[in-house]
Amino acid sequence: MSDGWNIVVCVKQVPDAAEVSIDPDTGTLNRADADAVMNAPDYNAVEAALEVRDAVGGTVTALTMGPPSAHEVLRAAVGMGADDAVLLTDRAFGGSDTWPTSLALARAADELDADVVFGGEETTDSSTGQVPPGIAAHNDWAQLTYVEDLEPRPEEDRLVAKRDVEGGYERVAAELPVVVAMEFGENEPRTAGLHRKIFAETDFEPVEWAASDLGIEDEVGLAVSPTQVGGMATAEPVPREQETVDDVEKLADRIAEVL
Amino acid sequence: MAAGAQADTAADVAAHSDVWVFVEQHDGEVAKVAWELLGKGRDLADQKDEDLVALVMGEGVRESGIPDEAIARGADRVLVADDPIFEPYRADPYGEQFRHLVEERKPDIAMIGGTHTGRDFAGRVAVPTHAGLTADTTELEITDERYEMRRPAFGGDALATIICPNHRPQMSTVRPGVFDTPDPDESREGEIEGVDVVVSEDDTRSEVLEREVGDVADITDAEVVVAGGMGLEGDFDPLWELADLLGGEVAATREAVEEGWIEPARQVGQTGKTVRPKLYIAVGISGAIQHVEGMDDSETVIAINNDPNAPIFENADYGIVEDYAEVMPELLELLREELGEGQEVTA
Ligand SMILES: Cc1cc2nc3c(=O)[nH]c(=O)nc-3n(C[C@H](O)[C@H](O)[C@H](O)COP(=O)(O)OP(=O)(O)OC[C@H]3O[C@@H](n4cnc5c(N)ncnc54)[C@H](O)[C@@H]3O)c2cc1C
Ligand SMILES: Cc1cc2nc3c(=O)[nH]c(=O)nc-3n(C[C@H](O)[C@H](O)[C@H](O)COP(=O)(O)OP(=O)(O)OC[C@H]3O[C@@H](n4cnc5c(N)ncnc54)[C@H](O)[C@@H]3O)c2cc1C
Repeated sequence: MSDGWNIVVCVKQVPDAAEVSIDPDTGTLNRADADAVMNAPDYNAVEAALEVRDAVGGTVTALTMGPPSAHEVLRAAVGMGADDAVLLTDRAFGGSDTWPTSLALARAADELDADVVFGGEETTDSSTGQVPPGIAAHNDWAQLTYVEDLEPRPEEDRLVAKRDVEGGYERVAAELPVVVAMEFGENEPRTAGLHRKIFAETDFEPVEWAASDLGIEDEVGLAVSPTQVGGMATAEPVPREQETVDDVEKLADRIAEVL
Repeated sequence: MAAGAQADTAADVAAHSDVWVFVEQHDGEVAKVAWELLGKGRDLADQKDEDLVALVMGEGVRESGIPDEAIARGADRVLVADDPIFEPYRADPYGEQFRHLVEERKPDIAMIGGTHTGRDFAGRVAVPTHAGLTADTTELEITDERYEMRRPAFGGDALATIICPNHRPQMSTVRPGVFDTPDPDESREGEIEGVDVVVSEDDTRSEVLEREVGDVADITDAEVVVAGGMGLEGDFDPLWELADLLGGEVAATREAVEEGWIEPARQVGQTGKTVRPKLYIAVGISGAIQHVEGMDDSETVIAINNDPNAPIFENADYGIVEDYAEVMPELLELLREELGEGQEVTA
């Protein structure tokens, strides 16, 4: 595999977690005004994708499904060093739960002839963590989730991962093509270089595909989504005393009282 | 057209019945969340007047006593897939075997523990069967015959109700620690059935080279939890001392776990465990929403933090604004006097 791997990295546009807040007056969730940013864990996915490309050669293509404004997250990925980017955008995708979302990303990854597809652990908005395993399931590819570290073995057409298995770890070798979900915070995402950043923000245009370009116009959207959001309530804050004491003795008394 | 697609993919809802629970085990060790799910599953099955079915996969599990324990904890029937291919765990054989059983037997509801294992393979069942899969649920109930799965979203700011009207099974992964563990009742009777294993090594695309199981401490049952965060800069010793004195467990934020100061099994929060102790003491923890989500059901919360504006104080009953290094030695000394060395908390 002298020409390296085709690497695809999935990035999602989400409302800035720091700006999603509960309106103290109305008790409703304020997310409409929040800026749209790249899902924080996806920076780890982009970094891992770039590291694997640097080790084995090949290209990294950033991929997102979202409204036209989602090209911003693709620009961020290109600024970090992704070679190219694809935006899946179409009204037909509206209302998709994780089943059609992962189908669209899976078909696009297949179209891009991916050897490895990267994603983040989960998103900061709906945080299902179901999209990367969903991509693997739709394409019947191998998968590696909760990945802490990677060792590409191009000579074997395999990727070896160290996975977090709650309290321990395992090393798993998976055959290509494989979908990898990186554990949040496991690497130090690089910052965009100045020239690359200017290129990404001024000259770069992502490729755009609609559902029909992937032949899935009848297999996406609300109608084929098995789950529906039936309602949403702001989580009620648990009532607390919120009393601050000024010396340790009082704190010890409180603890003793509780016990 | 969309409506046509719907008709093509929707399930024959009436043909599905029973509540299934996946009993996660590794090397004969059952993940506690599996028993929590049997408790919840028993309630749901009773409400629907249907059977509660436990599914056990692994090598040597048939004779392990796990199927019998599943009955003692509430199952009417236990399906056992016993084969070396299921040990150690891998997503493709687990997913494919589970998918086969789902298509053959058509459960109405299926619950899987929201552990790394459960969240890894659940999609390999839901995608090919076109089932609805709700992630990381914390509440499950049947209201007017409609099954409602509730889950935190937006980092815990919102609680979303997810329904699955036209597809079956109604699957969910469920967060560990939110439901009570039913006590085993050895007099319960049930049926254990070995099922055909439909996967082989030829169908798998991965190989486990090495597996190291670390600390699998269970912080979810502790009556007292002493938790530390980045403010400690790695200095967890006083927390262990305090936990020892109060008969509790030590826990931590995700950041502290990532620093390697403490085992991942002790992480509290959205991507860690949910704890519900009588007393939660947060030391050097800012109180990020993803952390608070995992400790919000504690009866009393105490915070020690040197920043008066740290959000943890809004989520605490009693707090002190001071350097932990000043507070902890004095607090330990005072509590030793008040409680006496080795005092155990009685529930
Ligand atoms: C409140 C709420 C609750 C929901 N609950 C459920 C549920 O329980 N089950 C369900 O099936 N659907 C659910 N949905 C729908 C779900 O949010 C969407 O399908 C969403 O587009 C993908 O899920 P996620 O954000 O959870 O992705 P995750 O699976 O958490 O994302 C993991 C990784 O997948 C990649 N990824 C995810 N989405 C995209 C994308 N659009 N483009 C590129 N890469 C992507 C990224 O790399 C990301 O880091 C819910 C929606 C809302 C608003
Ligand atoms: C998808 C996702 C999932 C997440 N899941 C989780 C999760 O499950 N659990 C979790 O905990 N986090 C989780 N997080 C991370 C979370 O957002 C916070 O970053 C994290 O909880 C902060 O940890 P901390 O409080 O230890 O550190 P910081 O936020 O850095 O807080 C340290 C605190 O210590 C105080 N301090 C400093 N010095 C002292 C001193 N000498 N004495 C006393 N106090 C001091 C500071 O004032 C500060 O308030 C998640 C994040 C994301 C994006």
